Amino acid sequence: MNSAQIEIQLIASLVAIACAIPGTFLVLRKMAMISDAISHSILPGIVVGFFITQDLNSPLLIVLAALTGVITVVLVEYIQKTGLVKEDTAIGLVFPALFSIGVILIAKNANDVHLDVDAVLVGELALAPFDRLIVSGVDIGPKSLWIIGIILLITITLLIAFFKELKVSTFDKGLAASLGFSPAIIHYGLMTVSSVTTVGAFDAVGAILVVALMIAPAATAYLLTTNLKKMLALAMFFGIFSAISGYWLAHLLDASIAGSITTMLGLIFLAVYLFAPNKGVIAVMYREKQQRTEVSLLTFLLHLKNHNEVEERHVNHLREHINWQKVRAKTVLELALKNNMIVVNNDIVSLTKKGDTFTSKAIDYIITNKDAQIEDMKDDFFLFRG
Amino acid sequence: MKKLLFILLVYATLSSCNTNKKENGKLNVVTTTTMITDLVKNIGKDSININGLMGSGVDPHLYKASEGDVTKLVNADVIFYNGLHLEGKLVEVFEKMGSSTKTPIALGEEIDKSTLIGSDYFASNYDPHVWFNIEYFKQFTKKVTAVLIEKDAKNAKYYKANETEYLAKLNTLQKTITAKIETLPKDKRILVTAHDAFNYFGKNYGFEVVGLQGLSTATEAGVKDVQNLANFIIEKQLKAVFVESSVPKRTIEALQKAVNAKGHDVQIGGTLYSDALGSAGTTEGTYIGMFEYNVNTIVNALK
Repeated sequence: MNSAQIEIQLIASLVAIACAIPGTFLVLRKMAMISDAISHSILPGIVVGFFITQDLNSPLLIVLAALTGVITVVLVEYIQKTGLVKEDTAIGLVFPALFSIGVILIAKNANDVHLDVDAVLVGELALAPFDRLIVSGVDIGPKSLWIIGIILLITITLLIAFFKELKVSTFDKGLAASLGFSPAIIHYGLMTVSSVTTVGAFDAVGAILVVALMIAPAATAYLLTTNLKKMLALAMFFGIFSAISGYWLAHLLDASIAGSITTMLGLIFLAVYLFAPNKGVIAVMYREKQQRTEVSLLTFLLHLKNHNEVEERHVNHLREHINWQKVRAKTVLELALKNNMIVVNNDIVSLTKKGDTFTSKAIDYIITNKDAQIEDMKDDFFLFRG
Repeated sequence: MKKLLFILLVYATLSSCNTNKKENGKLNVVTTTTMITDLVKNIGKDSININGLMGSGVDPHLYKASEGDVTKLVNADVIFYNGLHLEGKLVEVFEKMGSSTKTPIALGEEIDKSTLIGSDYFASNYDPHVWFNIEYFKQFTKKVTAVLIEKDAKNAKYYKANETEYLAKLNTLQKTITAKIETLPKDKRILVTAHDAFNYFGKNYGFEVVGLQGLSTATEAGVKDVQNLANFIIEKQLKAVFVESSVPKRTIEALQKAVNAKGHDVQIGGTLYSDALGSAGTTEGTYIGMFEYNVNTIVNALK
């Protein structure tokens, strides 16, 4: 591994962390789309800043782009408040308009500068280590590393300073307001940080990768935990992991680095989406299957409770009467036996005392919908959870 | 922050056991377009390591660096590129490299600017497709030789001999091409291609050159451009138009359909190599082979 390769992975990892922090809050606030909007609508800010300074690395670009980012949010909310359209429609109205202003500005005035839409959207991570920052003759590392490092430092400082406020205003706006800090200020603060991060990263990794790094790791972490601190940590971990594994995927395929990182983000999300312990697709499928069996069990127990006649409780009769397939009947029977709810004597099934109380409680619950009585059953049965 | 420190630590360990090695003391030369790669191969032959960034069929206007290119650039001692903003963002990167230990050489900057064709699109205001003028390519050859000699003096004689040999080949090429083009009547010398890559070719050999997409392949052809060009083709009674290996065929095919719809039969005369050479190992994979192939294709189709 040579120094350029290390620097690329370092830049990618720093971008991943810097994106994961605002990304987590955006995902929790159900505002993921706004990061896509910001990443596009900052273009006019960048173009105007470039016209003034003639330097793609000037801090003025970041300031102006952050400003257009905030303007985007203000416009989106203004349109949304009219009540005529929904939030996603408002986003869809605002960012293409701002983005196209940027495109027109470039086409009209910037034909002879090296600023094209393509570079803004895709970036060129592979070339980042060759643009060095030289201070009084000494090479102190790639420029993008410094830019993103400073942004990350600011983001982390803000996160630590305003963690409580961010947390409360994300989960309970009313409470935040009554505690004396304005959710609006936190909201715009978060939007400003998102804009600044997007601008700082766009030159190195491009807007598409920024959006991917903001949303995908946070969404993946969201599937695994309900704790905010854990979610932040997991989002950062997934971001860094995708950045580095994506880099080596690119190495293996000799392909675009940003493209490979985005692919890894997608693959990791897919894996977690399928295999996450609680919210994963497979876990949900298993739970639904269990719930179906439990509904059958309840029907079966009810039948037993309602019939004292021996012939109604014969194993063979049950199969015919409730009309279950053999396999299902067997599963239900075994489940009931395992929980000591029934006893089988000479092929005659009877309820035990435990089975009898369980059935009464369950029926009560279904009728009254109060769950105080079944607290102790929740651990054994999915049916009564949530 | 702990995580960051950890990553740094891992990197430090990994990198310490895996340092760069200069292969057998040979000069590491990185080239951009296939034309320049071929040229440098002819001068340096096996006494230098040549790493071309762009493969055959790659459009230099739209080139994206891959992971492997990073290592090539890191290990480069000398970088030869076309410049005049042909290679997009790469040019920008090379220009900033001036202060490092690498020597980036923009071959296009060697040419006397007053002889270049101007353009509104490119930042430098010059058409960068200079390799279609063999005289310019000879200047490239001389510059490459001079730089190689400066960097690797012990092989100076070898490079000089290769230069003489290659310049002789280019002179022969100039003669064969001129002779071939002479067989085509002057009024039939109209070249319609996908983008404006052949202006220098046209200027030298008396062709009127019309490109559908303008100088950069990044811009798209509009409906009006296609219609105007179709009318032009009918007016001039052209027999053939040409596709380019590094530009998608569909715009030229649209043009052909537009012309056919107006009742004039125009053929696709063949594929020309404009911004990139053919696959390595084939005749069209060398600059000389490519030039001969292009001229034969053009002359045979328009005759």
